[in-house]
Amino acid sequence: MKVRFRIRRFDPLHQAEPYWQAYSVEVKEGMTVLEALLKISEDDDPTLSFRRSCRSAICGSCAMTINGFPRLACSTQVLPQYRKKGEMTVEPLSNHQVIKDLAVDMTPFWNRMEKVSPYLAPKEEPKDGWVIRKEDAAAIDSAQKCIMCGSCNAVCDSLEADPNFIGPAASVKAWRLVGDVREGMKKKRLERLSEGHGVWDCVRCVHCTEYCPKDVRPLEAIERLRAKAIEKKVVDNHGAKHTLALVDSVKRVGRLDEAAMTFKTLGFLRSLGMIPLGLKMEMHGKLPHLIIFPAIDGIKEVRKIYSAVERRKKKKE
Amino acid sequence: MAVLRYAYYPGCASQEITKEANETTRKVAAALAVELHDMPGANCCGAGLLTDCDYELSLALNARILAQAEQMGMDIMTICSTCLMVMSAANRDLKNDRKLLDRINGILGEAGLEYRGTVRVRQLLWVLVEDYGLKGLKKAVARPLDWLKVAPFYGCHSLRPSSALGFDDPEMPHSLEDTIKALGAEAVAYAGKTRCCGFQVDLVAPETAVGMTASRLIDAKAKGAACVVTPCPFCHINLDNYQGMAEKKVGRKIDLPVFHLAQLVGLAMGMKPEELGLSRHMVSPERIVR
Repeated sequence: MKVRFRIRRFDPLHQAEPYWQAYSVEVKEGMTVLEALLKISEDDDPTLSFRRSCRSAICGSCAMTINGFPRLACSTQVLPQYRKKGEMTVEPLSNHQVIKDLAVDMTPFWNRMEKVSPYLAPKEEPKDGWVIRKEDAAAIDSAQKCIMCGSCNAVCDSLEADPNFIGPAASVKAWRLVGDVREGMKKKRLERLSEGHGVWDCVRCVHCTEYCPKDVRPLEAIERLRAKAIEKKVVDNHGAKHTLALVDSVKRVGRLDEAAMTFKTLGFLRSLGMIPLGLKMEMHGKLPHLIIFPAIDGIKEVRKIYSAVERRKKKKE
Repeated sequence: MAVLRYAYYPGCASQEITKEANETTRKVAAALAVELHDMPGANCCGAGLLTDCDYELSLALNARILAQAEQMGMDIMTICSTCLMVMSAANRDLKNDRKLLDRINGILGEAGLEYRGTVRVRQLLWVLVEDYGLKGLKKAVARPLDWLKVAPFYGCHSLRPSSALGFDDPEMPHSLEDTIKALGAEAVAYAGKTRCCGFQVDLVAPETAVGMTASRLIDAKAKGAACVVTPCPFCHINLDNYQGMAEKKVGRKIDLPVFHLAQLVGLAMGMKPEELGLSRHMVSPERIVR
């Protein structure tokens, strides 16, 4: 059947603004978006620019925005998309600068990668050699599947709001290293990752995990980096303090004690900055319990669970 | 229709800052003859932050909530998207992995509890759309909101990760629009409806958070919305409580009232504005409800 492709085109060197161009493509069942693009450029319009290489979802070159979300053109079939959305739009990846048409500048992507020193800095090898247990390998398995296509960075809400944010892709690489039993610079890495614009700035929008074409689950990598940072006592930052305040709040009262969490996260001086908002909230009856927060009825059960988890952890160590 | 019964889990936010969501939900449920049974002693789900510290602890504490609902013989209904996501993700992991469930039950056992994996976690939106049905809801509307243009705001955690939630299509959700239409109002289309409100980093990266809040509100307003409705109290906190800070950041007035889902339903059912706790909002919706 004939499918009308609307493609977002732009040549920043010669054009003032991006524009939509429509192409009609004869599409067969099973045809991929990449095959359709190749057909367009061969039969119709050789000026259409896009990246591709392996055609088998391994090289990560052809990530682009297809019907509103990032996908690999080579592993996305046209007709299911077309039937679902009633149209077929192709755009460059969001959160990236366009070089031409569907090809974006990946320099910021690689710069973020550089920031996490993407290579192993191993400890000294034990005399009888490394032994990597099954569960050690499993911990970084999904991170190893990353093909660096940039899809996660393209849908990341934090990255859109803050271009200095480290982003999901580099976080995955960081976890691949921090989670490796042979790595010798874990703490140093975690300290750098815990600085401003680091892993604690993720808003948990879950876009990265939803749209990763290789099921890498970047959000999980971010959660594991955060947990590892806390485990290694890298806690002198707002993100870790906020998390620890919640862990403490649930243990103490079984619930989220908002006022205490704010205080413990920001510290005394910066909490003062919250007073204007607090007063406004008070006017609307919205201020949470400030001094004494009553515990839930089941608090003893909750604490038993805390100590059971704690005991198991110690035993494991 | 069989009586709808749920183990009711309002979540921490709606027991404190967004109390109005909890109180209105109870009124709306009573008016629709949906039974909400309290879960005395239910703990916080951890809002994702527990996972950032200790995955096993997070699973065990969520399993405690699920086990309690199981004992009550009911599915859970929450009115918080983040609670929904966190409990659903824990539920997914526990149901998919027998060994993990056994291990967590070993921990629960020390508190005299067990979870067998039979509970479903729902939120008010899903209950209205799927369990109660919008046809029935339409019948309960006494005062169609036909003058109101409403921007649906899903936020993140009622849609993603779809592997744990899977109720609505995360790319083309329509449950909130359908509900708005059933109440007689018009649903405004805008791009930001499935994006993040910024809540999770309010204290950690306030610039990022407030910037996001501003983007979503400005987007909705530019498309002609007179108000926003959200199924999530955390989204409400950012879109309403933090709207003043968002205005400061972008240097202009936004002035867009934000409703909790239950409030919009209550309004259409003919409840008076003072019954809906609207005076607790920072951005007053008074002028659009009269």
